[in-house]
Amino acid sequence: MTAKKEDKLVSLQQAAAMVRDGDTIAMQGMGTQMSPLGLVRELIRAGRRDLQVAMVVGGIGLDWMIAAGCVRKVMAIIINLDEFGMANNFRRAAEAQQLEVEEYTEHTILTRLGAGAMGLPFGVTRSGLGSDILGLHPETTKVIECPFTGKPVVACRALEPDVAILHAHRADSFGNIQFFPKPIWTDVDVFPRAAKKVIVSVEEIVENEEIRRTPERTGIPYFKVDALVHLPYGAHPCSLFPRYNFDRAVFQRYADESRTPEGTRVFLDEFVYGLKTHDEYLAKLGGPAALKSLERWD
Amino acid sequence: MGTAKEYTIDELMVCTLAKAFTSEDIILNGTVSFIPVSAVLLARATHAHGLTWVAGAVGVDAQPGAVIGNTLDPTMWKNCVMYLPQYEDMWSYVHRGTLETFCIRGAQIDQYGNINNSIIGSDYHKPKVRLPGSAGMGDMGSLDKRVFIWSTTHNPRTFVKKVDFRACVGWLDGGDSRAKLGLRNGPQLVITDLCVMDFEPDSKRMRLVSVHRGVTAKQVQEQTAFELVMPASVPETPGPDSEYLRLLRDVVDPKSMRKIEFRGSATKV
Repeated sequence: MTAKKEDKLVSLQQAAAMVRDGDTIAMQGMGTQMSPLGLVRELIRAGRRDLQVAMVVGGIGLDWMIAAGCVRKVMAIIINLDEFGMANNFRRAAEAQQLEVEEYTEHTILTRLGAGAMGLPFGVTRSGLGSDILGLHPETTKVIECPFTGKPVVACRALEPDVAILHAHRADSFGNIQFFPKPIWTDVDVFPRAAKKVIVSVEEIVENEEIRRTPERTGIPYFKVDALVHLPYGAHPCSLFPRYNFDRAVFQRYADESRTPEGTRVFLDEFVYGLKTHDEYLAKLGGPAALKSLERWD
Repeated sequence: MGTAKEYTIDELMVCTLAKAFTSEDIILNGTVSFIPVSAVLLARATHAHGLTWVAGAVGVDAQPGAVIGNTLDPTMWKNCVMYLPQYEDMWSYVHRGTLETFCIRGAQIDQYGNINNSIIGSDYHKPKVRLPGSAGMGDMGSLDKRVFIWSTTHNPRTFVKKVDFRACVGWLDGGDSRAKLGLRNGPQLVITDLCVMDFEPDSKRMRLVSVHRGVTAKQVQEQTAFELVMPASVPETPGPDSEYLRLLRDVVDPKSMRKIEFRGSATKV
């Protein structure tokens, strides 16, 4: 795989194979929004191990991966299911000391990634000054004196993830990734720029001419994209604004079942392990007509 | 406008917080923030027309009409003037102090308004209880915000003498310790299911301001694991104006999303 202007379309399985055991992966996501969950399901089926996952907000996908034993370490600011409550497998794994938790403030982890994106050794912020969060990882965040004013600032060591995985609205086959209305969240902004490899799943593949008619929507250019997967509803059960909303029923079911490891296993068997392809996943959800019901924002 | 006779604690908390906001405020909100977001919408619909709200830290001056989804959700960005890109724009405005007001809750809040939502226990790496994490509070505590704290669980487990893990910097160790670190602003007000509190100007210790109807100052002290600064007389928290209450019930939060925040609270709403 190269970042040249050539066809980047691969299968879901091929894309997942580009993530290796032990990789640091930057994973897009919010509590209930925009997360590459089709790719996550495939990484779980492929049995990835020892991953170090960097996120801003970890949610349902990360909780599945932790339950499935894929994750050695998480770097994040919060991990929960938003209004659906705790990420129970995260909680259990952290309490059993089976998971390394490297907690950041939002702007310290972003500053680490921003430095990585620019090839700088570190970046600076004032976020977290005086808090106990900085002391959790002196090897990556350190209070230093500003060389000009003498005031304290936080130096954040560059982070260059091995791979970023994202889900977006559409792309051409070269991997010009478009968002609607434009990239808003930090993870679609700095994650791909910081990462060594970038894998993106998209709702729709369009012609290169369509991209050229709407360059204002392009958030990631083809030369930064290594692999592209065509995956309609690839963020499900998370939302992809404004295309579809999150799936309340699936979230609630997971929130309930994940209260126990056994319940989690039932859920994962049904929604991940028991389905071999993304088409099977969509069929399980009831097909296009059923998914149409998610297209509401009131 | 008269004072309402019949109201519940969630309604009182929203109306009291709303009264603390002014047209000068530029407020952004975080996750599971139904009480603050309801208060923002209510303040804007009543006495603070000029208040600026950045919905979910994305939707600038959004006008969703009502609380219709979770507070970081795109449903709440409706009719905004701009989707604020997070990485450059939002963090610039937050760092420079343009976005100056933020509301925070947490599993532990101490006498100086330091907050913890990361772990319970003496060793971060061997937590007795793992909580979701600090999210934006780790940023906002250090970035000069005027912080409004809310809690639906006023008890000795939440209001502790010292937080197990200082995720959000309040008044640090009290006195001028926060200012010495070069941090401006800090925690302003604490609104709970029992009372309203602020911080004594010199010591920066938490101080009782008013108690909600049916609650005594003694009860508040019993539910607080540190000694509150106690004024000679403590008034009752003024009940909501009838018009505020009507707007909250009928317009701002007709689905009562704010009650989600009372899961696990001893206060029934």
